[in-house]
Amino acid sequence: MKWIEKTSDKLSQAFKSKRILKPFYALFEAADSFLLTPKTLTSNGSHIRDHVDMKRIMITVMIALLPPTLFGIWNIGYQHFAAVGIYANFWHTVWYGIARWFPIILTVYVSGLVLEIIFAQRRGHSVAEGFFVTGMILPLIVPPEIPLWILSIATIFATLFAKEVYGGTGYNFLNPALVARAFIFFAYPGVISGDGVWIAGKPDAFSGATPLANIAGSAASSLPGTSDMFVGIIPGCIGETSKIAIILGALLLIYTRVASFRTMISVIVDGLVTGSIFNLIGSTALMQVPAWEHLLMGGFLFGAVFMATDPVTSPHTGTGQIIYGLLVGALAIFIRVVNRGYPEGMMLAILLMNVFSSLIDHLAIQRNIKKRLARSSRARACACVRAKPGRC
Amino acid sequence: MESLFDLFIRSIFVDNMIFAYFLGMCSYLAVSKNVKTAFGLGIAVCFVLIITIPVNYLIYNLLLKGGALIWISPALENVDLSFLSLIIYIAVIAAIVQLLEMIIEKYSSALYNSLGIFLPLIAVNCAILGGSLFMQERNFASISHCVSYAAGSGIGWLLAIVAFAAIRERIRYSNIPKPLRGLGISYITTGLMGIAFMALSGI
Repeated sequence: MKWIEKTSDKLSQAFKSKRILKPFYALFEAADSFLLTPKTLTSNGSHIRDHVDMKRIMITVMIALLPPTLFGIWNIGYQHFAAVGIYANFWHTVWYGIARWFPIILTVYVSGLVLEIIFAQRRGHSVAEGFFVTGMILPLIVPPEIPLWILSIATIFATLFAKEVYGGTGYNFLNPALVARAFIFFAYPGVISGDGVWIAGKPDAFSGATPLANIAGSAASSLPGTSDMFVGIIPGCIGETSKIAIILGALLLIYTRVASFRTMISVIVDGLVTGSIFNLIGSTALMQVPAWEHLLMGGFLFGAVFMATDPVTSPHTGTGQIIYGLLVGALAIFIRVVNRGYPEGMMLAILLMNVFSSLIDHLAIQRNIKKRLARSSRARACACVRAKPGRC
Repeated sequence: MESLFDLFIRSIFVDNMIFAYFLGMCSYLAVSKNVKTAFGLGIAVCFVLIITIPVNYLIYNLLLKGGALIWISPALENVDLSFLSLIIYIAVIAAIVQLLEMIIEKYSSALYNSLGIFLPLIAVNCAILGGSLFMQERNFASISHCVSYAAGSGIGWLLAIVAFAAIRERIRYSNIPKPLRGLGISYITTGLMGIAFMALSGI
């Protein structure tokens, strides 16, 4: 295996010194650290707490994203053949799904990475691993019928304005995948809502509404069964349908402590609480949807597991994460139930709370400072009383 | 009751003074360097909006609107003073800000000190005058609608400036390209926050 390293070193020298190759150094470096290990080593006085680095965290998230992705690929094919009414075996189904999914992820990666590499080259930082996760998540939260040029514009917009202008991975205050989705949602609402986009290659006569849209359109009778919604055999965004696959990913994320379990749990608990409160009011069809069924519909669970726990854009303090989760859960259900315009609210709720996460952090830290100041002054008073009784 | 609540939520998020109408941008950009002062200014704006909009509503409906003077004598039915509204609103806002300043100074010097220079500065904040003009344009049915609109707009402005200040405190450490540092990145941030605030439009 030595010769791989040697070739890599030689290539690295070539990319650094040759004039023609120089503009592509960032590209080479990205490929190199993706395939091998990152070249940079800490030189002095590091405080090592774990072996984890950015690359490993991102790879863990990508592994956690595999179950929803794989199920999503199968589901694209399944929904297509069910809508057309042709019987297809497993491999046909998967093949159709791949043929639909691959152009989407290719578009996202190409348009995002080109931008990322240009910025990395111009500004002299390396291509960060962050985009690999963004590029993997984004295809999962768009419908399979998304026009590729719109997706490309949205990816470029989000990478440029939500990430690169702030200095790249780790500095952004909004989740780029969510910004891309919100961009599509507000700029081209037709391709990401309604009932024509959720099933790939759908014949016109077939109704392809998601369960949420069914309820919002008061067609609650055509709701799929609970087990179907849990397994994920329903129309919807590519990665959000299967709750089993998402839970598998969540277990991995919690086990490896890559994502905050506080956020996940508080989002889900508060989703249930808010749903129950609306059940008690119960004046519209949407308010009567059982609270636990909200968890099975739309992108609620996917958002709670993969989007709300984004370590960069969610609060960094423990208390902050709980408050953030509670607000996301409540807001998501609130948008779903109260907002006539949008049947799905999870992604928008997380985006809105991203805006406030710095504020939540700020408040949590201030409160902590106050508490500790009070504690230390109390301790000082006690020590003083012990040392010189009668004088303090 | 439902519509009062709707109006309140709408004016916080959908018709947000900053993200939907770009009103009060000057103080929004200038006084958002840290959360504490931003919060002080936001509270002051809330306060003044909640008082001036209902007062202007009463003045407009009882004195200025076409045919509003009918309660004095039926002969005044054709008098329409609404061309005076702009200048009267400005006078009312300035007067109320001055009055408030004196009252707060007299009765709560702690609040007065924490608001500091922001309280008099509010007299020239366009969000306040904008609030009164929108109130006139929208023809609210009752004074309680006015109060809920004013409270919503004020809280929306407060939320916007405080969240923006927290984000600015955070991106101070970001590796922003040189030409964008300062105002450039503030405008981009404001635009992105505006997208996020659109989450609740359509209520």
